[in-house]
Parts: sequence; C-alpha cells; structure tokens
Amino acid sequence: MTGLELALVAFALMLVAIFLRVPIGVAMAAAGFIGTWIVLGRPSATLSQLKTLTYDTFKSYSLSIVPLFLLMGQFATKSGMSGALFQAASDWLGHRKGGVAMASVGACAGFGAVCGSSLATASTMGQVALPEMRKRGYSDSLSTGVLAAGGTLGILIPPSIILVIYAILAQQNIVKMFVAALIPGILAAIGYMITVAVYVRVRPDSATTAERVPMAQRMRTLAGIWPVVVIFGLVMGGIAADWDWTQDGVQALFTPTEGAAVGAVLTGLYGWATGGLTWAGFKDSVLATAQATAMIFFIVWGAQLFNSFLAFTQAPAQLVDWIAASGLAPLTVLTVMLVAYLIFGCVMDSLSMILLTIPIFFPIIMSLEFVILGYALTPEEAAIWFGILALIVVEVGLITPPVGMNLFIINGMARDIPIARTYAGVAPFVISDLIRVVILVLFPGITLWLVGVLFG
Amino acid sequence: MAFALAPRAEAATGRVIERVARVLAYAGGFLLSAIALMVCASIIGRALDGVAFFGPITGDYELVEAGTAIAVFAFLPWCQLKKGHVAVDIVVQALPPRLKALSGLIGDILLTIVAYIIAWRLFLGFGEKFPYGSDGMREVLGMGYRPFFAETTYELEIPVWIPYGLSWLGAAFFFVTALYTVWRSWNWVAQGQEQAV
Repeated sequence: MTGLELALVAFALMLVAIFLRVPIGVAMAAAGFIGTWIVLGRPSATLSQLKTLTYDTFKSYSLSIVPLFLLMGQFATKSGMSGALFQAASDWLGHRKGGVAMASVGACAGFGAVCGSSLATASTMGQVALPEMRKRGYSDSLSTGVLAAGGTLGILIPPSIILVIYAILAQQNIVKMFVAALIPGILAAIGYMITVAVYVRVRPDSATTAERVPMAQRMRTLAGIWPVVVIFGLVMGGIAADWDWTQDGVQALFTPTEGAAVGAVLTGLYGWATGGLTWAGFKDSVLATAQATAMIFFIVWGAQLFNSFLAFTQAPAQLVDWIAASGLAPLTVLTVMLVAYLIFGCVMDSLSMILLTIPIFFPIIMSLEFVILGYALTPEEAAIWFGILALIVVEVGLITPPVGMNLFIINGMARDIPIARTYAGVAPFVISDLIRVVILVLFPGITLWLVGVLFG
Repeated sequence: MAFALAPRAEAATGRVIERVARVLAYAGGFLLSAIALMVCASIIGRALDGVAFFGPITGDYELVEAGTAIAVFAFLPWCQLKKGHVAVDIVVQALPPRLKALSGLIGDILLTIVAYIIAWRLFLGFGEKFPYGSDGMREVLGMGYRPFFAETTYELEIPVWIPYGLSWLGAAFFFVTALYTVWRSWNWVAQGQEQAV
C-alpha cells in the first residue's frame, strides 16, 4: 500500500468512527497512533514522543490565546455589555420595518468584537433580543433565524478562536489573520441587515415598526457601548497597531496572547465594577471556560498525532503532485474545498473540520497559483485569504440543518417554536453567506487590503 | 435493569468525582486568571520600564506556558464528566435510545484508554525530568533512570518536573473520571437511555 492509499484508508476509517459517535479527539488520536504504527512497523516511536507531546501541546504559547479569549468571552456574557449593545442598536434602527432584527445583527457584531465564540454570542444576544422581538410581534422564523445567523458574527469578527487554530496549523501570523477578518466580518453584518430588509419586504407580516427614538436618547444609549469600544480598541490596537514610528516595521504593544490576557482582565474588571460579574458568575465563567478549553485542546492533541502520521505517509505532498498533474484550475480546486466544508458543516463542528482538513488542504492551496482578475496572489496573501474563506464556510455549518449548534441554542430558548420554523428563518441568511463567499473569492482585495495598509 | 452495576454506588461515586473535578476546574480557572493578571502587570512594567521600580516580569513567557498547561490538564476531568468532548451524534440519533447509549459507552471506553495513555506517558516524561528518589523507589514507581540534573526553564530556571507533576495530577484524575464515566454509561445502557448531565 502506498502512503497515499494508507492515509486515505485511515482517513475513511476515522470518519466512520467519528460518525459512530467516537469523540473526535479520540478518533484522530487512534487513527494517528495506529497509522504511524503501520508505517514504522512499531509503536515505540509514538509512545516515546507521547512522554512530552501532551505537555508540549498544552503549554504552547500561541494556543494559550484560546483559554484567555474564552474567559474574556465568558466575562463579557455576564458584564451587561450585551444589553447596552442591543439597546443602542435598537434605538438607532428599531423604527425601521424589521429594525429590531437589524439591531440584533448589529448587537451581535458588537458583541463579536469582545467574544471569540459563536455559541456564546448566540446564547448571550438571544437572551436579550429574542424576548424583545417576540414582544414586538416579529415572526418566529425571522426572530430565531436572525439570531442564529447573528451568532456566527461572534467568530467572524475578531477575536476568533478558529482563526487562532488556523494560524497555528498554517503557520501564519495571527495578528494578520485577525486584521484580515475585520472587513469580511463587517460585510457579514451588513449582509445580514440587508437580508432582514429584503425578508420583511417579501413577508411584510413578519415584522413590525416602532416609534422613532429621539436623537438625544440615541446618543445617550450609543455612549453606553463605550466599554466594548475601549476593550476592542485596546486589544486589537495593542496587537496590530504600530506604537513606535521611530523603528522599522510594526512595533506592536503586545503579543496576541498578551492582548487576550488584557482583554480578559479588562472585561472581568468591567463586569465586576458594574456588578454583572458576581462571584457566582465568575465561578460559572471558569467552569464554562474549562469545558470549552479542554474540548478544544483535546482535539488539537488528537490532531497532532494524526498530522504527524499524515506527514509520515507523505500523502499531502502526493496529493499536491496529483493535483498539479491533473491540471485543474486553482479556482476549481478552491471551490471543491469550500463546498466540501459546506457539506461537512451540516453535521460536524467547525473546529474539528479545520483541524482535520487544513493539514491536507493547506499544502495544496500553497502549491496553486491564484491569479484573480489579473492579479497574482503571493503565497502569504493566498494563505490569509484562504483562511478567511474557510472560516466563513465552516461557520455556515453552525446555521445549516440538521446539525447547526446556533439553531439549537436559539431554538432552545423558545421551546414553543418548532425547529422547522427556525430552519426556514435562517435560510435567507445562509444565502447571504454564500453570496458573500462568492464576492470574497472574486475580490481577494476586500480581505487583503487592510493587511496591506497596516503591514504593507 | 438486569445488568446495571451498583447504580447507587455509581451515583455516590459520581458526586465525589464531580466535587473533585469541580475543584480542579476552579483551580485551573484561578490559575488562568492569575496568569492574565501577571501578563497585564508585565505589560505595564514593560511600558514604564526605567521609571522607579517598573520593569517587565522576568520569565512571563514561560509562566504563561507552564500555567496554561497545568490549567488545561486540570480542565480535562470536568469536560469529560459533563460530556463536553465533541462527537458527531447525527447517525446514532436515529437509533433506539439503548443503542445510542451503547455508542456513548463505546466512546467512553475508547476515551478512557486514551486518557490512560496520556497519564502513563506523562508520568514517564515526569520521571525523566525528576532527579530525585532512590533507584529502588524509582523502579517501583516505574520512573526509569534518574536524570543527572533537573531540566529547567530558560529564564526563571524553574525545574520542569514541577509543572509536569502538577499537570500529571490533572491527567491522572482525567483517567479516573473517564473510568467513572464508563461505569455511568454502562448503567445508562442498562436503564435503556442516556441521562442529561
């Protein structure tokens, strides 16, 4: 059996195990361990590697961003920021037809700026916005659909846990990935608002209008979102802005890990000062962070074993050769990958998909020459661009049935709404996502422009 | 209920395991918060470097690394107890509840094997860093040959066996928790369906 065949068999068996509900980290570790055993003819190499591998994986300085951002997001959910964001957005947009739904999108985007997780964004904003929309007579479909979709802004707008993992796997600069995610994230929010506007035009009975709020009050509630602006500004400004013009290059104030620590401390202090983050709330935050962190690190650990097996088989390199020989157009290959993410996203979570596929997809992307509208992307540009595209399509998985975690979370808050209505309500937002992906594929400049300005 | 294994004892054990896992998760969370505060202090010190006593904290980088590792190991038992490790259950969702519970049991058994391997190998890694103990004691504990000197971190020269040992506590209890979840899943199969945790 050639290395490529062995890798394919291992990959297929691993997928079977995953679909039989073996925990994903276990399936990846087992496939990697047994596969390496077959390649080398003995298990001792992996066993001796494991004496240090687990500790070395868990102590990774880049990965330590993950628990810190998770903690920050947990603090943010308890700090009252979600209420302030929604109030401001709804004062500014609520008088329009479907305005409260648009406001939910805006508030989700704002919350996404301090929270790196989609599920936390969906559940936090859902608690604030869902009762309000229902009270004002918005249809079940629209109110649950818009919140499920809005939740994905939590991860599309930096900070973003998935981008950290992608950057580590693809050996890219985390800061540049965050910067690149900013404009596509804002586009996502605008796209969702446009979707709401179209939705209420097609289905006028699905939303209501409200009294216009006087400008003085609008300004007052807008001022109420200052903590979000300050914390996001400090974290992103600290890791991405140039703080010393006298020296060449970008002299950031701190590393991404330090930025995450600053964000967690500031959010925690703000929550404590406003009384939102009590001692019990702090302990809750710790437990939620513990569960999410352990889940992520365990999969990352399994992926390490699987990826070192893949490297032994040389399958990724052989795939690269095969694709080069096949003469497939780069955009065709990219499209196939993105569609694969969309299909798998229906049943798998986004982090597992990234960990499973990037070691295979990324070398292929790097081997291709992307020339789009006459402009040839450099390898680094292609890496950043692909990361953002992959991020968006795996996040679509959170809102596509049958397994879309955001749909379940929002639907779980309103048990009287049948899940079919939530599915129907989110469909227009999925279409909006797909349109955005096409635009970002055709115009890489949208993603890469800000990176060029800051780091050019 | 014919083949349920001491369900009462299982429930009692579960309460003890939950208490310990919770304490470990809190400890990890406090450690993580302390790291975040330490990093902030180091940034402020670095920004004001030269003013009075201010300066960056020596070894902040390696403190973050060791602290995160210990915290993550301490988080593992809680995650397993709360069924937090992701699995795809779309296929088994269509099966009868008892078969679904069986798939959970199989997953927990496999995870327990993995948890054992992690803890076992980490202990050997610890043994390679730990420069103490008589040969007899080391042999009984399976720690391997004694290293001639303790490997330390770069700046603070903390012996690496300390974070390894603390991490091993989490890893060992992860294995204990995983064993317990096998017991719990077995009884769920006996009952005919899984329960919420």
